[in-house]
Amino acid sequence: MLRVTLLAEQPADCPLIVLVRQNAVPPEWAPQAAAEAFTGDTETTCDILGGTQRVLLVGVGTDPDPLALEAAGALAVSHLLQSPHAAIDLRGWPKRHAAFCLAGAVQRSWRYDALRTKPLEDDPKLAQLDAVTDDATLPKAWARQHAVLTGCDFARDLVTEPSNTLTPAGFVTKLARLADAGVEVQVLTGAALTEARLAGLRAVGQASVHPPALAILRWPGEHALPPVAFVGKGITFDTGGICIKPADQMWEMRADMAGAAACAGAMLALALRRSPAPVLAVLALAENAVGDNAYRPSDVLRHANGTTVEVVDTDAEGRLVLMDALGWAAAQKPAAIIDLATLTGTVVTALGHLMAGLFDNDASLAASVAAAGAAVGERVWRLPIDESHRRELDSDIADLRHCSPDRMQPDASQAAAFLREFVGETPWVHLDIAGVENWAEADERYAAGATGFGVRLLDRLVADRFEDAHRA
Amino acid sequence: MLVAEGAAPSGIWKAADDATGGAVTRAFASAEFAGKDGQSCTILAPGAGLSRIVAVGLGAGELTVQKLEDAGGAASALLAREETAIFATEGLQAAQAALVAFGAALRAYRFDIYRTKQKPEEKPKFASITLLTGDVAAADAAWARLAAVAHGVFVARDLASEPPNVLNPIEMANRIEKLRDLGLTVEVVEPEAMLKMGFGALMGVAQGSANPARMVIMSWNGGAAGEKPLAFIGKGVTFDTGGISIKPAAGMEDMKWDMAGAGAVTGLMAALAGRKAKVNAVGLVGLVENMPGGNAQRPGDVVTSYSGQTIEVLNTDAEGRLVLADVLWYCQEKFDPRFMIDLATLTGAMIVALGHEHAGVFSNDDDLAAKLLASGLSSGEKLWRLPMGPDYDKQLKSDIADMKNITGRPGGSITAAQFLARFINGKPWAHLDIAGTAWFTKDAATVPKGASGFGVRLLDRLVAEHFEA
Repeated sequence: MLRVTLLAEQPADCPLIVLVRQNAVPPEWAPQAAAEAFTGDTETTCDILGGTQRVLLVGVGTDPDPLALEAAGALAVSHLLQSPHAAIDLRGWPKRHAAFCLAGAVQRSWRYDALRTKPLEDDPKLAQLDAVTDDATLPKAWARQHAVLTGCDFARDLVTEPSNTLTPAGFVTKLARLADAGVEVQVLTGAALTEARLAGLRAVGQASVHPPALAILRWPGEHALPPVAFVGKGITFDTGGICIKPADQMWEMRADMAGAAACAGAMLALALRRSPAPVLAVLALAENAVGDNAYRPSDVLRHANGTTVEVVDTDAEGRLVLMDALGWAAAQKPAAIIDLATLTGTVVTALGHLMAGLFDNDASLAASVAAAGAAVGERVWRLPIDESHRRELDSDIADLRHCSPDRMQPDASQAAAFLREFVGETPWVHLDIAGVENWAEADERYAAGATGFGVRLLDRLVADRFEDAHRA
Repeated sequence: MLVAEGAAPSGIWKAADDATGGAVTRAFASAEFAGKDGQSCTILAPGAGLSRIVAVGLGAGELTVQKLEDAGGAASALLAREETAIFATEGLQAAQAALVAFGAALRAYRFDIYRTKQKPEEKPKFASITLLTGDVAAADAAWARLAAVAHGVFVARDLASEPPNVLNPIEMANRIEKLRDLGLTVEVVEPEAMLKMGFGALMGVAQGSANPARMVIMSWNGGAAGEKPLAFIGKGVTFDTGGISIKPAAGMEDMKWDMAGAGAVTGLMAALAGRKAKVNAVGLVGLVENMPGGNAQRPGDVVTSYSGQTIEVLNTDAEGRLVLADVLWYCQEKFDPRFMIDLATLTGAMIVALGHEHAGVFSNDDDLAAKLLASGLSSGEKLWRLPMGPDYDKQLKSDIADMKNITGRPGGSITAAQFLARFINGKPWAHLDIAGTAWFTKDAATVPKGASGFGVRLLDRLVAEHFEA
C-alpha cells in the first residue's frame, strides 16, 4: 500500500502534484499551462519538467466535491507511478476533500506483487507520497480513511490471490489478520456444517477436495444493540460444477469470492477504526468443483428452515451458499442484512461495469445503502423483484427451484427473489457486484484488477446508519 | 358478478341465488370461492334462464385501477363462449364500473383475420357487455373516454400483429393515414424528401430493403392555439433481419413486432384524438425495413445523421437507434415540443435486465421520469428507471466518427439510451425501452397472448394526469 506521510513543509526533491481549479492556473506555471491548453478542467494534466522540481498540474474543475478530488488523486499518481517518491500540495482543501484525494492516490497505486519474483524495468515504483497540509484536523480524518483503505487492500488481495492457495481453508487462514485487529473469528466446517443443516453450502462444496466452511466474524463494538450483518458469497473458484463453464475466461472465476472478501475487508476497516457499532459477518466459503461426488442438476436440497430447493443449474451455486449464510445470519436477529455477491452475468448486461445492482425488501435500508455508495463512489442502482420473477422459481417437485432453466431470463432479479425467501422479516439488501469487482484495464482513474468494491460502501453505511447508540 | 373478499350475499348475488334455488351458494362453497384476488367461479346453466354465472374475486383492500381492470379482464376470458353478458357492478362507482368494462374489452381483443378455417363453434363470440350501474350518465361518460383508449390499444396491437409481408413501411403509413377520420392531421414524408433533408442515419438502415421508408407525422390540436405540443416518437422497423449483421434464424419471426414503439405512438394519437384530449400533441414514427439486400449498409459504414453528427455503424442490427436519431432531431427542430418521449423495442439487454413486468425508462429529466413512473403504476403499464451518465456515454467513442452505434453487451440498454441522448438538444426527454413488454407470450388479465399495445394506456394517463388543461 502506498505510504502516505503528512507534512507541513513541501519537499523539494521529488515531483510535486498541484491541484488546479478551473481557470485558476497559478501564475508561475501559466506559460506551460497555456502551451498545453491546460485550464484546470477535470481529467486533464500538465506535466512541467523543465524547472528545478517536476510539477504535475492536475485539473479538478469547478466546485469539485470530494469524489472529484479522489479522481484527481488517482489521475495524478497514474502519471507518476515510475517515481519512487512524490508529493502533493493539499493546503487550502477541506479535510474531507484532502482525505478523498489521498484515497484516490492510494487506490490507484494498488498492485498485487506477492507472486512476482523477477522485477521488470517498467514496474511501478511509487512507494511514498508526502501530503503537504496546514490543516491540524487532517491527521485524524486521514487515520480513519487509512483504516478503510487498509480494509480495501485486504479485500483486493484476497480477490486476486489464485484459487490453488486461496481455498476455503486458505481464506480462513487470512482471517487471522482480522483476529489480530480484535474481530472474533469462528469457523464451521465438516460435522458442524451438517449439524447446522447448511445443505446448500455442503452441496456446492462437496465435489472439491478443499472442503467448504462458514466463517463467522463478530465485531462487538460498544453498543448493546442487535448487530448489522454482512453476508458474503465466497466461492474460491467456480468451475460451474457439472454445468461446467466454457473454458474461455474461466480464470476470472478466482474472483467469485469478492463478496466475502468485501465483507471481510469491511470488518477489518471497522475494527481498525474502532467503530462503536456491533457488526456480524457471515462468509460462505466453498469451491464449486467438478468431481465424482459433485451435486447434480435436479438434486433437491433441504434448507435449515425446512424449505426444499430444486437445483436447476449447478453454476448458479452462489444463491445456494447464500441461502444458508442468509438463513444463519437472520437467525441471529440482526438489525439488517446486507449481502454482497458476484452473483449473475445478467446484472452486467443490465448495468455494465459501472454500478452494482441493488435488490431489497426494505426501501429505507435500500436508500441508505445507495446513499452510502454514492458518497464513496461505489455506485449502486436499485432493480426490481417482481411477482413474475418469483413465479419463475416455482418448482414441479419442491418448494422452489433455484433458477429458471430458460434462456434470456432476468436472472439477477430472479436470484434476488430466491434469496429473499431466506431472510424472513429482517430488513435486507442484496448487492449483485458481478461486473464491478474487477476493472479490466488500467486507466488514469483505476488500477487494473480487483476493486475491493463494497468495503467503503459498507463502512460508510455503518457510519451513517448504525453507529448511533440510540438508533431504533 | 364482482365479489369482494369475505362479502355476504346481497343484491344481485342474493337475487341470483334465490332464483336458482341456492345454486350460487352451493357453487361458491364447492369451488372454495371466497372473492379472493385472482379467484373466479363459473356456474353453468344455473337455472332462471341464465346460461352461466361468472363470479370474479376483487380481493380485500383498495380497489385500484389495475384491480378493477384485471377483474373485468378475468371475467371477459371466462365469457368467450357467450355473445353478451350482464356485468353487475353493485358497490362500485360509475367510473369504477367503466374500468371493469375497459378491462373486459382489452382482454376480448383478438387478431384473427388470417384464420380461414375456424369453425363457428371454435370462434370466441364475446362481443358486448351490458353494465348495470346506479349512475348511467356518469358511466357513459367514463366509458366514452375509455372506449377511445381501448381503440387506441387495438390500433397498436393490430399493427404489431400484422405479418411483415403485409405491414411494410408504406402499408403502415397508409393505415395511419386512415386515422384522419378521427380528426388527426397526418403527413407522410417519403424517401426523396428524407434524403434531401439529410436523414443519413434512417436512410442508411432503409437502403437494404426493397420496401421504401416512410416517416409519418401525426398531429392532434386539442389544446390552446399556439401552445407547444407534447411529442411522442416511435421506432417502426416493420421487420428486422438485423441486416448484414444478420440475426440467428431461431426466433427471428418475433422481429415483425419491432415496430411496436411506432405502433404504440400511433395508438396513443388515435386515443387522444378519439377522446378529444385537450392537449396539443405530435406523434412521429420512423418506418423502415432492415433487410440485407444488395445495397444494404455494411458494418464499418459511416453515416451522417440529420443532426450533422457522424455515426460509425459497427453493427447493422443496432438499427433502431439510427432511425430514432434522425426522427428525434427532426422532431425537436420542427416542433420545439414541451418534451419528447420515445418508445422502442430497442435492446435484448432490456429483457435480460428487467424481464417482462416493467419496461425500462431512461431520462434526462427527473420530473418527467417521476411522472412517467407514477402513470405507469396507475395504468398498470409499469416502468423501472435505469441509470445514465457520462461514464456510460464515453463508451460510444468511435475511432473515426463522432460516435459508434454499439458498445458491448454490458449495460447494453444504457449505452443505447446514451446514443439517443446525443440527439436530444436540451429538451426534457424520456426513452422507453419496451423490448420486454411489447409482446406477451402468455395471457395476462387485460392482454391476451400476443401484442400488448404497451405504452398507449401509460401515455394516455400521463397526458390526462399532467398535461391537459
